Amino acid sequence: MPEPTQPQPPAGPDEVALLIDDKPVVVRKGTTVLQAAEAMGLLIPHYCYHPGLSIAGNCRMCLVEIEKMPKLQIGCATVAAQGMVVKTGTERVKTTREGIMEFLLINHPLDCPICDQAGECRLQQYEAAYGAGYSRFQEEKVHFPKRYDIGRQVVFDAERCIKCTRCVRFCDEVSQSHELSLFDRGDHSIIGTFPGKPLDNPYSGNTVDICPVGALTWKPFRFKARVWFLKDIPSVCAGCARGCNVNLATYQNRIHRMTPRLNEKVNAWWMCDPGRESFAPLYERPRLERPQIRMDPPAASSPAAAPSRGPALLDAAIDRAVELLLGVKKRHGERALAGLVSARLTVEDLYTAGLVLSKTMGIPRLAVPPHEEGKDDDLLIRRDRTPNARGAALLGIGPPDASRLKEILEDIAAGRVRGLVVIGEDPVGEGLLAAPALAALEALVVIDWWRSPTIEAAHVALPACGYGEAEGVIVNFEGRAQRLRLAVRPPAEAEPAWRVLARLGRRLGSSFEPASASAAFDEVAGRLPAFRGLSYRALGGAGVMLEGA
Amino acid sequence: MIPVRPETDRLIGELLTRYPQQGTALLPALYAIQDELGHITPESMAYVAGKFGVSEAFVAGVVSFYTMFHRKPVGKHHIQVCRTLSCALRGAGEILRHLESRLGIKEGGRTPDGRYSLIAVECLGACDTAPMCQVNDKEHGLLDPKKADELIRSLG
Amino acid sequence: MAYEPLLTRNMKRPHSESIEVYVSAGGYEGLRRVLKEFKPEAFVEEVKASGLRGRGGAGFSTGMKWGFLPKSKDKPRYLAVNADESEPGTFKDRLLIEKDPHLVLEGIIASAYAIECHTAFFYIRGEFHAGARIFQKAVDEAHAKGFLGKNILGSGFDLDVLLYRGAGAYICGEETALLESLEGKRGLPRIKPPFPALVGLYGCPTIINNVETLANVTLIAEQGAASYAGIGRPPKNTGPKLYCVSGHVKRPGVYEAPLGLPLLELINDRAGGMLRPDRPLKAVVPGGSSMRVLPAAKCDVLMDFDSLMAAGTMLGSAGVIVMDSSTCMVGALLNLARFYAHESCGQCTPCREGTGWFVKVLDRLERGEGRKEDPDLLVDVANRVEGNTICPFGEAIAWPVQSYVKTFREEFDEHATGRACPMQAAAAATTKAT
Repeated sequence: MPEPTQPQPPAGPDEVALLIDDKPVVVRKGTTVLQAAEAMGLLIPHYCYHPGLSIAGNCRMCLVEIEKMPKLQIGCATVAAQGMVVKTGTERVKTTREGIMEFLLINHPLDCPICDQAGECRLQQYEAAYGAGYSRFQEEKVHFPKRYDIGRQVVFDAERCIKCTRCVRFCDEVSQSHELSLFDRGDHSIIGTFPGKPLDNPYSGNTVDICPVGALTWKPFRFKARVWFLKDIPSVCAGCARGCNVNLATYQNRIHRMTPRLNEKVNAWWMCDPGRESFAPLYERPRLERPQIRMDPPAASSPAAAPSRGPALLDAAIDRAVELLLGVKKRHGERALAGLVSARLTVEDLYTAGLVLSKTMGIPRLAVPPHEEGKDDDLLIRRDRTPNARGAALLGIGPPDASRLKEILEDIAAGRVRGLVVIGEDPVGEGLLAAPALAALEALVVIDWWRSPTIEAAHVALPACGYGEAEGVIVNFEGRAQRLRLAVRPPAEAEPAWRVLARLGRRLGSSFEPASASAAFDEVAGRLPAFRGLSYRALGGAGVMLEGA
Repeated sequence: MIPVRPETDRLIGELLTRYPQQGTALLPALYAIQDELGHITPESMAYVAGKFGVSEAFVAGVVSFYTMFHRKPVGKHHIQVCRTLSCALRGAGEILRHLESRLGIKEGGRTPDGRYSLIAVECLGACDTAPMCQVNDKEHGLLDPKKADELIRSLG
Repeated sequence: MAYEPLLTRNMKRPHSESIEVYVSAGGYEGLRRVLKEFKPEAFVEEVKASGLRGRGGAGFSTGMKWGFLPKSKDKPRYLAVNADESEPGTFKDRLLIEKDPHLVLEGIIASAYAIECHTAFFYIRGEFHAGARIFQKAVDEAHAKGFLGKNILGSGFDLDVLLYRGAGAYICGEETALLESLEGKRGLPRIKPPFPALVGLYGCPTIINNVETLANVTLIAEQGAASYAGIGRPPKNTGPKLYCVSGHVKRPGVYEAPLGLPLLELINDRAGGMLRPDRPLKAVVPGGSSMRVLPAAKCDVLMDFDSLMAAGTMLGSAGVIVMDSSTCMVGALLNLARFYAHESCGQCTPCREGTGWFVKVLDRLERGEGRKEDPDLLVDVANRVEGNTICPFGEAIAWPVQSYVKTFREEFDEHATGRACPMQAAAAATTKAT
């Protein structure tokens, strides 16, 4: 009989060498068998194990054979040891997995046709890969409550639940909100909440992500789309200064859901509920699809006649904006011009804004309005709700600053500022710009993606892309530059803000006309020390920490 | 609003410091509540969760795990008939059926006057006296239908 | 050869549970000897030398278990006494607790001394109301007499014993579930390793010993390992044993004898023989409901760890359940399956789902809705539970299912052919007769 191959690759002092399915692998001490297999590209199937949670060892799907151990061992909790010989594909392992699959399904409703998880359900995947394909169970199943709101946005079907307790552990260990618990015993065990204390923490959506089956579903996504039609676009959440890495699931030019994408340096496996819902306004608010120019009634007409607004050709709108702003400059001087630019804009947008508004048009003051809510929590949520505040600061426009904003608003009220450019902000809707001040403005040029109250008050309104409709870079609070990705096409004439700004610049004689966000960013990287050495491409999927940021 | 008497509240406060770690006091605290209220109400679970600095869901999960914690009221005389093998071999089934008809309730039920509740339980570790039952905290063994009748009479 | 009982020696005395009676019969002399003559580690060696094996069910060497404690003493150590006696057919610990609590307490103190622990928990199942009262009184008495508390008998050794009541959960007899319960949680068994000797109660090194095991420690403390090791069937099955007999016998009860008592002698002599002469022995569960069943033909066996292991079953908790010819084995297994389904903690897949499945199939068989493939199905499902669960509960249900079906295959096949239980009429008659 041939000697079994022994794992002999050299292992450092903090390493162990083992054999998994006859292949040698060297891992750091403390690594589990499941992780070691993963490191060599081998999946040991599992439900309850999640790298971001404590080990529960309850699903038993990851049982593998280890030489010298009489019983099968769970890969998720067995620490790899020097010389260990692991077999993950023996008949014994296969029979056991088949058994676990059968056990998991005997009390499962098998309602895949009406289950939102279908297509990304581990029961489906593993039954196909490891199951027997049939069940010998012919009895009445255990019945549990179905389809009830276990939380604000989460629906629970207890019959689909496999009691892996990932959700319970998430609420205990990550959100530390402790709403969930196991109740009762045996095959009547059920996950639940205490009466009056629903699953309602700012991170509740993660329980849906980590639920390996269709037990927990995200209410806004229920019955919206079959997951196999969805295409995940890797992007970044723009809901706050954290910049959680996300996937935007799209279908038929629409974002259907936002889920966290692993980035250990930023958000690990998680994201917050407000972030998860942050794309919703895209489909709830009225869009600004075309440029719009305000026609003031002729001076001779009756005082009751209101100004009218109508769609305009883009070139005409750009002409009108420039005409109005230069008019103010001519009549009142440069000091009568100001701008409000948003830290929700990308690096490319803000850079172009600086170039066109400050340099070319000579607007002396740009303010970045702050948007803060609550306080930083211990997990992800930042008080600063603007995703690119750090970027704005690094670009020299300055961080969000309430006093600069106040100064400009006061100057508008006092009639010292007569021309205002607003990009991605809504001072009217937020009550910062009241009617008398608005009336005194001789030029209000606004660029935004939706028909905000400010857009409606503008002399010239220019449509921009909304979230997910353009490429661009944002810099999170720690100084990590990350890419927002184009996931859906913008409507009608909406364009990235930087491109709208470049059009304004061209009308004034500027030559800054990048072909793409990528080209715009590379220009930034070539000119600004904070971004030196970077390229749009180099940011990749995980972003790059800016040196000296 | 504390759902228990001041004495019970004080006792629970004292239990919190009795053991090397506070969590150990949870089962004793739940017993103290049940001793007073007869069963463990949602309000008392919320109260005890506050005392221990744990979530209500955690406490409710613990309560639901242990069969001796009642989540609804039981009778003044809580009759627990052992139904596991040694007692079953000696006629536990018949005792249970007899008590059901004698008390006019089904297993798991409670008489309308709240006097008796009847439940089948798993092995009580008194198989030498099979068939047996426990009424509240007292055991009654070597039952037959006649003795079961006498037992009910003696409970009053 | 007359055997002088050791574990039950005081029980016939009036007020055998009181410290006065216990001390007047020489109680706590063993402890005195240990504290005076032994260093802690020396007493660990003494217990190893005695050959004492745990009386809770697994039969693991007690001294060796103690030896697994880490050398370092940077964390407190705990002793958790497993008085959660819940294995169907077992009622020996209850007897010790109610009739001679000081015999147990003396063993606890000597053991705590050996493992250098200063807080011991006495985890008693919640249903043992009288036992809890009696044991608490014993602890208080021992405190008053200086056997507990600070500087016990002038030795410098301190120990407190805290009584802790479970609240109704068979699984808490599993040692890591017991620790979870002691920490005020749901009694879900932990993944091992780490074993409790390294990471136990509150994350500290912890030893869990059964009540009867600790009573045996008292005997070792009294007479020394050499003498103790001569009892029973040395070298591997030493010491006295409490055997619990229940079911179809004339005198159910707890009987003491050295390890190695013939099973038939236990049934026929000690327990008075079969309940009804017209109904001969059919089957015996030798070690509590979790152990494999023995058919009458295989009952000529000695009651000790290794003999029963050789017979394909285990001594377990020595809960001997005797079944006569009127017993329907499908019904008996259904009864046990219900027990295990009710007591499964529900944590891990095979046990949670398997226990309920067994009940449903067996119930169908009893109702006469059996299918021909059911007996094989039961065994196959049991095979897939066995060895694949977090704790030994998986075996505790798999072993009975496998052994009942295999041993009484014809009876299961008869049920499976679609007729209702052929024994039911007879079984009903039995219950009426008794």
